[in-house]
Amino acid sequence: MAAVAIHLPLMLMQLPLKSYDTNFHIFFASHYVHHWFDPWNPKWFAGFSQTTYPPLPQQWVALVSWVCGLNMAYMAVQLAAILLLAIGVYRFSRLWVGPRAASYAALASVFLGNESFLVYSAGQLSTTFAAPIYLNALPFFFDWLRYGKWRSLLKASVLLVAAAAAHHATLIFGSAFFALPVIALVLMESSESESDEKTSVQAVIARTVMLTVLVGAAIAVVLLPYWIGLIRYPITQTPIPHPSRASYILSPQWGLNYFIVPYGALILALPFIVIRGAAVTRLRPLLLGFWVAFLVGLGGTTPVGKVLLGRAFEVLTFERFSYWAALLALPILGLVLVEFIDRFRLKAAIATALLAASTCALAVAWSSIRPADAANFDVASVALWLNRDGHDRFRYVTLGFGSKLSRLAIMTDATSVDGESNSSRMLPELTKFGGAALTSSKYFAKPGLDSLRAMLAHADRYGLKWVIVRDSYYDPLLYFAGWRQVDELDDKTITVWGKDGVPPATPMNASQMPPHWQGVLWGTLPFGFSILALLVIFLPEERTRGFRDDDVSLSREQALNGEVLS
Amino acid sequence: MNKGRLLAAGIAVATLLLLVIGTMWPVTSAVAYAGGGQGDLLVAPSTPEAAANDLGTQIRLHAWDKAYSSLANKAEFTQDQFIHDLTGYALSLRTYATLDGFEVQPLHQTANDADMIMKLRWSTVVGTFEDKRNVHATRSGDHWAVNWPIVPEQHVPPQVIPVNYLRWDVITSGSGDDWGAQDVEAPHVRIVDMHPVNRADGVVVMGELLNEDVIPAYVSVRSTLLAKNGSVLDSEGSFDMISHTLLPKQVTPFVIRFPGVDLSDVASIRMQPLSVLVSASADPVIEVLNQQYNAPPGASLTGQLSNQSGQTVNVAHVISSFYDKNGQLIWVAGQYIDRALQPQTPVDFHISVPEDIARNVNTERTVVSTYVLGGSL
Repeated sequence: MAAVAIHLPLMLMQLPLKSYDTNFHIFFASHYVHHWFDPWNPKWFAGFSQTTYPPLPQQWVALVSWVCGLNMAYMAVQLAAILLLAIGVYRFSRLWVGPRAASYAALASVFLGNESFLVYSAGQLSTTFAAPIYLNALPFFFDWLRYGKWRSLLKASVLLVAAAAAHHATLIFGSAFFALPVIALVLMESSESESDEKTSVQAVIARTVMLTVLVGAAIAVVLLPYWIGLIRYPITQTPIPHPSRASYILSPQWGLNYFIVPYGALILALPFIVIRGAAVTRLRPLLLGFWVAFLVGLGGTTPVGKVLLGRAFEVLTFERFSYWAALLALPILGLVLVEFIDRFRLKAAIATALLAASTCALAVAWSSIRPADAANFDVASVALWLNRDGHDRFRYVTLGFGSKLSRLAIMTDATSVDGESNSSRMLPELTKFGGAALTSSKYFAKPGLDSLRAMLAHADRYGLKWVIVRDSYYDPLLYFAGWRQVDELDDKTITVWGKDGVPPATPMNASQMPPHWQGVLWGTLPFGFSILALLVIFLPEERTRGFRDDDVSLSREQALNGEVLS
Repeated sequence: MNKGRLLAAGIAVATLLLLVIGTMWPVTSAVAYAGGGQGDLLVAPSTPEAAANDLGTQIRLHAWDKAYSSLANKAEFTQDQFIHDLTGYALSLRTYATLDGFEVQPLHQTANDADMIMKLRWSTVVGTFEDKRNVHATRSGDHWAVNWPIVPEQHVPPQVIPVNYLRWDVITSGSGDDWGAQDVEAPHVRIVDMHPVNRADGVVVMGELLNEDVIPAYVSVRSTLLAKNGSVLDSEGSFDMISHTLLPKQVTPFVIRFPGVDLSDVASIRMQPLSVLVSASADPVIEVLNQQYNAPPGASLTGQLSNQSGQTVNVAHVISSFYDKNGQLIWVAGQYIDRALQPQTPVDFHISVPEDIARNVNTERTVVSTYVLGGSL
């Protein structure tokens, strides 16, 4: 109810549209609306395959859009993910703490700044969609390891595959941060159990291997077009800078963005989370998982991310690690809140509510305080211009459009050499220099501008005739490189530049086009697994998992007296 | 201490330790975002090089307050003058340039004074440029501070400049937005010289293009290298190494680069000049003053540009052609001017010439193309 009360109005206001990546996801979804079984999208990068990005959330947006249009479909899917997160956090927390603490943890997830930051500022639908599915899978994973229940194996496997279909990175790193603590918990619990409930270490290892093989094989098949693309075209592009890799101490402005805003009042609870997590034996694996994720989530503030991830450090972004860290901290936070409220009663409840509300409010407001695009503008006039008089026979790039690039791509029939999906880019002019989208070249300084110049120099090759500019910074380059301003749009805030002698665009990158069978696979299996996950979740399950109902939360006295401590 | 407290203490200490390590010895990406140094945690510099490095870092981060307050001679100018010295007094390439990197070269040092060269590499929308400053640092107590060699703004006395330049307007029958599809014959242009050379990074095709017509032309040149079997090796355009607007009877040099191609693989070269009728004017007129070829070593062409018109030229691009004693074109090079050209205010230019070519240079010719903000439609 709390999740609906807080996030439904924000979704109805379509607040996530202001974020960095929301339009990107909607653009992918818009392609699935018309070409469910054909992942080849000619609108970006002179043609690219959408199999370069796990499809599940976008496919759900595409499906729901038949009812309420793309924008509201996105909001509906995102809201569903938020609701699912509260359930997932509760179920995951129940492995570690009692029902009351788990309830507080679930309630805290609704106010979690990291979640709101990803939803409303970053627009990371895939991450926020995959994490709840993953959290919901973990209790079944626990049951399978602990009790060897086959139904749990089935449920865990299907849910984990569905999570991978939404966001593969969540599963890869989630295994380390989330699954390892669960395995450790199983081993700890088993060693402390009565002989009839004991599970041998060998059995736990065997079950882990079995599930890993099963899930690994399923993911290999479900995302087969993705793996084939990755093997045929490994990501060799020059790393693109991302401020989440900055030191949040040396660059406090990024510390504010990637630490203060996402964590919010959770920062105040960190010492208590560490103390309580360390004091209770069964929470220690969880604490260690949180700690490592927390350190990695600090980006370049500590050397941990660089040491653990190696070259991947220069490719990954770290706000999602902070998100995972916060999710791992929630069960312990729930326990801390139980003790806090038991001790200080109403005062504690009021203080907690105020801090939670402030955290959520700041993270939500951050998309307005520090918007992804400095100016909010309508790209309808540009789409109209591109769609008329045969202008769409040629390709175009935008400059100064930010994330509106995706919005424009949804609305126009014309194709572009630019795009927002860095992992989908194959054109050498885009991958060689270390800049991201051409539309934001200037923010990547020399690498970004080198990339733009290389692309403009090869305009004839790509049928690139139009450059649509909303930032006069780029005008000198266009002028000296042989482009001429041919039109003005939107009250002269947008200019259109053209180049003479450019041949019309022709289909390109044919060798990268996935065959039809891959399209069928891509349109069937990921979505099919999400349907299967919905079905298997309703299979009845015997309740024997984790922290029992009669264990209730630990009292402060018990904890302090060391009754359950090591 | 029980295990729980020990673990909590261990996590806290290890976290603090990792934070200290990450701050004292930041990873590469963190250094880049901190402007090349240690960002906001700068301590008072104890050497002249450290003072210059800190200043470079602050300039890179656009931390103007800190950069200005760190200067030893800040009483000689205002913070605005300091900022404008770096970013230009009028809109120019400097205005939105980002400092890509910098070097500090010590020249001479005593106990209380030091002379250094600061080379600031700026990145702009049209490429990079280097700003070299001779800086003097002085010691004050236990720290050093830089004396910034400010270049003051030059003021031109109020005056009236008569404007009597030629101007051509074009009236088209269409909507005007598809300017390439015109209903008039294209201006007649001709390549009057073309010369391919093999360089370390590939083939360079250079030449000169003449507008033979009596109307202005917007021009570009495309070149295609063909192999011995007739296949296309590569096809490239002149991009920004040409003056695109040609008035009647004007000539522009051009350069087309083919990275990674060897001239020995090239059987023939197909040249495709392109011209389109456009509106044009002879204004602004830029005069090249004191042009001088400096023989090797360190061969270069230097001179000054003087804006003879009454409006500010925001960006100027100098393209120079170099000829041997037979009048054969042997090299074309160019430079963007990073400062705006104010009326009647000369600005230096400097174009380097490769040593192997410099020995054969006999004469040279320079053309200047200009960009004026808001004047391109």
